[in-house]
Amino acid sequence: MSEPILRTEGLGKRFDGVVAASDVSITIPRGELRCIIGPNGAGKSTLFSLLCGIYRPDAGRVFLKGEDVTRLPAFRRVRRGLGLTFQTNRAFHRLSVRQNLSAVLQIARADRPIDAEERYRFALERFGLDPDSEMPAKELPHHQLQWLEIAMVLAAGPDIVLLDEPTAGMSTDETLQTGAVLKRLNAGGLTIVVVEHDVAFVRDVAQRITVVHQGRVFAEGSVAEITEHADVRRIYLGKA
Amino acid sequence: MARVPHILKLLSGPEDIGRSRWFWAVFIAACVFMLVYPRWLSEFQATNLAYYLLNVPIALGLGLLWGYCGVLSFGQVAYFGIAGYTYGIVAGNMVGDDFGPIAGSLCGIALCAVVAAIFGYFVFYGRVQNWIVPILTLVLTLLLETFLGQTAGYQWRVGSVQLGGYNGMTGIPGFQLGSHVVMGYDFYYYVLIAVLAIYLGLRLLVNSRHGKVLLAIREDPIRTELLGYDIRARQLVAFVLAAVLAGISGLFYVQWGNYITPSQVGLLQASLPVVWVAVGGRESLLAVLMSTVALNWLNYTLSSEGYQYALIITGALLVVVMLFFPSGIVIALARELPKRGLFGRRKGHAA
Amino acid sequence: MDSFATIVSVIYQFATNGAFLLLSAVGLIVILGMMNIINLAHGELMMMGAYTASIAWHRNVPFWLCVILAFFVVGIFGAVLERAIVRRFYGRELGALVVTWGISLILSQGALAVFGPFLPAIPIPGGSVAVGQYSFSVYWLSIIALCGVLIAGLWALYNHTTIGLQARAAMQNPAMAKALGVNTDRIYMLTFSLGAGLAGLSGALFAPTVSIAPFMGQQFVAPAFITVVVGGAANVITGAVGSSVLLSLVKTPIGFVFGAFVGTVALLFAALIIIRLMPDGISAVLQRQIDRRNRFA
Repeated sequence: MSEPILRTEGLGKRFDGVVAASDVSITIPRGELRCIIGPNGAGKSTLFSLLCGIYRPDAGRVFLKGEDVTRLPAFRRVRRGLGLTFQTNRAFHRLSVRQNLSAVLQIARADRPIDAEERYRFALERFGLDPDSEMPAKELPHHQLQWLEIAMVLAAGPDIVLLDEPTAGMSTDETLQTGAVLKRLNAGGLTIVVVEHDVAFVRDVAQRITVVHQGRVFAEGSVAEITEHADVRRIYLGKA
Repeated sequence: MARVPHILKLLSGPEDIGRSRWFWAVFIAACVFMLVYPRWLSEFQATNLAYYLLNVPIALGLGLLWGYCGVLSFGQVAYFGIAGYTYGIVAGNMVGDDFGPIAGSLCGIALCAVVAAIFGYFVFYGRVQNWIVPILTLVLTLLLETFLGQTAGYQWRVGSVQLGGYNGMTGIPGFQLGSHVVMGYDFYYYVLIAVLAIYLGLRLLVNSRHGKVLLAIREDPIRTELLGYDIRARQLVAFVLAAVLAGISGLFYVQWGNYITPSQVGLLQASLPVVWVAVGGRESLLAVLMSTVALNWLNYTLSSEGYQYALIITGALLVVVMLFFPSGIVIALARELPKRGLFGRRKGHAA
Repeated sequence: MDSFATIVSVIYQFATNGAFLLLSAVGLIVILGMMNIINLAHGELMMMGAYTASIAWHRNVPFWLCVILAFFVVGIFGAVLERAIVRRFYGRELGALVVTWGISLILSQGALAVFGPFLPAIPIPGGSVAVGQYSFSVYWLSIIALCGVLIAGLWALYNHTTIGLQARAAMQNPAMAKALGVNTDRIYMLTFSLGAGLAGLSGALFAPTVSIAPFMGQQFVAPAFITVVVGGAANVITGAVGSSVLLSLVKTPIGFVFGAFVGTVALLFAALIIIRLMPDGISAVLQRQIDRRNRFA
């Protein structure tokens, strides 16, 4: 039985009286494409930050590839094979596309050396960007900027990628394209966890969905199970 | 052997202005000119020229730190002073020993590195806000000035060398290579070659992979860290390197003038590297080099006329540049002129 | 009785050191808390306050009025500076540091050029009071009292006036404040003006204790900066008070044993250690306590 790549046990987090996460236990097997959804204020962002290591939990533990990383800050988790992108785009806007590439060339990984340049170009070409472009990144259209950041993260050859609302601000078409690339990457063995709002996107790409509500795991299942789930519909419509 | 073309490629990399063959032709011509120029100069004029050049390393260090890594230090002159005084103490106690100046230089640089490493550890590993580094580095140099200023008494000496209080340390030995004392024309060549080597070395650095990571840290430290880099260590290294470069300028200074005073680490002196870097343009080593030489020449010329206004002009220059040429005058020119058809066309340039 | 006098003396030392730090830094903290900018011309603004006081005093203006005059003169000058230059650097903190340094060069060198190397001194008002074998300066006692009044005044300003409320809103969330109708431009100008005025006030208050010269601001700059670094930007009042108290606890014993300069060096070391433990300063730590208490109130 292979170790799940990311696992949490009873994660909890309070912010001065507000319970943002409570008893969250999720297990992500290797190679899965998991979507985390939930109504606004449900605690998706907090969960994301707890998984990354941006927040330290008040309770519970986080395991990355079997190792207890609860006390490790984010950058150490990244070095152990976790990639992450943010809700607000954080590619290097003032730098050119080419310079964004150069930045990832020196990525140091704690466990094995990787050929970042090749991976980066590969990812960029998949997304249709020109890796030698001198154009400042901020002049790229929004969706390409998002892809740029994803490509940078992929260049490190992570084992698992956490994406926080990657399709925010994208058109339907761009969302579909993003979904297609993510599915292809996942087919190649990359574990992907996406925190998302866009229902169509989730239905398109997810293999499994975790629904978060009021800081807790409300439901979990396949796409079909979750879309049929009456309670899930209720919490989205605000009747819970 | 394959390293040579690789090095050449790095030198010509995009992280500094000037890449075309045309540029390198002019650059080499300028170097040749600088090497030959002293034939038409008196020894005094040559040492003056050396004085404008000796401030280039401290400026380049600040340019690297601020322009390429995003860390602003207001107290680079502290290391200028630390190296200068240390050299004075060590070489001064080893007068008659040919190895003295070299020992003094090595000690000066080493002490700069140690102080910067300790200071930098607290600052960078503390993950403090941006404005803390300039403030605390400024405090360090101000305190150093106050300390040195009160070392007037006879008891303030190390070995046989007096610290000298506000009057400073005098009688500092010049630099020696073996038994040959480096002064006059020799001193000019010594500084010129060192400065060129430092510039080219830094240019290699900023175009290397390490340099690209520095750029990323400047742009978005959090994102860079979350790509897996240890930004605190890299910032610390850049900080120590800048301190060493500042120390090298300090060494050149005492080897040039054979004296140093606490005012060299004071508030007014501390503003100068910031002015040189801001006026030239912090994101280009070449711009920093040019503006440092030009402004030092200007300052010297002005102070021969009426010193009291030289610093007002310096302050005004800083304000004007920050308001109207925030990326620096040399960089602004480098961007504008090609657009107007001068110096050939450039493809779209990076930030 | 002797030990009583010693205790009073220790408290007095501690209070004067704290007052010195507080007064040196309060103008800076006001500006930092609002705009996240350190005004490097702060020392020169203090110098301007001292110059104003000296010029006025030697025209037979009573001292207390000189101090008030200094507050307004430098405050107005601060407003001019803000409008003309500083406001172009919001969001560019490092740029603001550099440009205010240029301004400080102009001001100090300008003062030298226009007024010469010294201005006539102001004798310390008030005499001294004796307790046991120690004598205490009435002037410094008044300064200590004045600090209390100042802090109370700032507290009232921020917490009990409309402008103060608007200022706190602008500090927490400028975009939201603007959306709610707060004129953030005006608030920034008034804040910078207040910070400058406080610098001028402090300069005037310190004027009798130092020689009044173009570079006199420099002696306050290092302690002021350290106080600001330790205090942090989260809350003006807790930052200023907390930092002055903490640093005075460091400086007083060390300065007593090893002398004033070593005391100041100790402050730098203390600051380095404190920022390692509390990177956002004391005010951030205290602010979290206050928020926590408010939440359960």
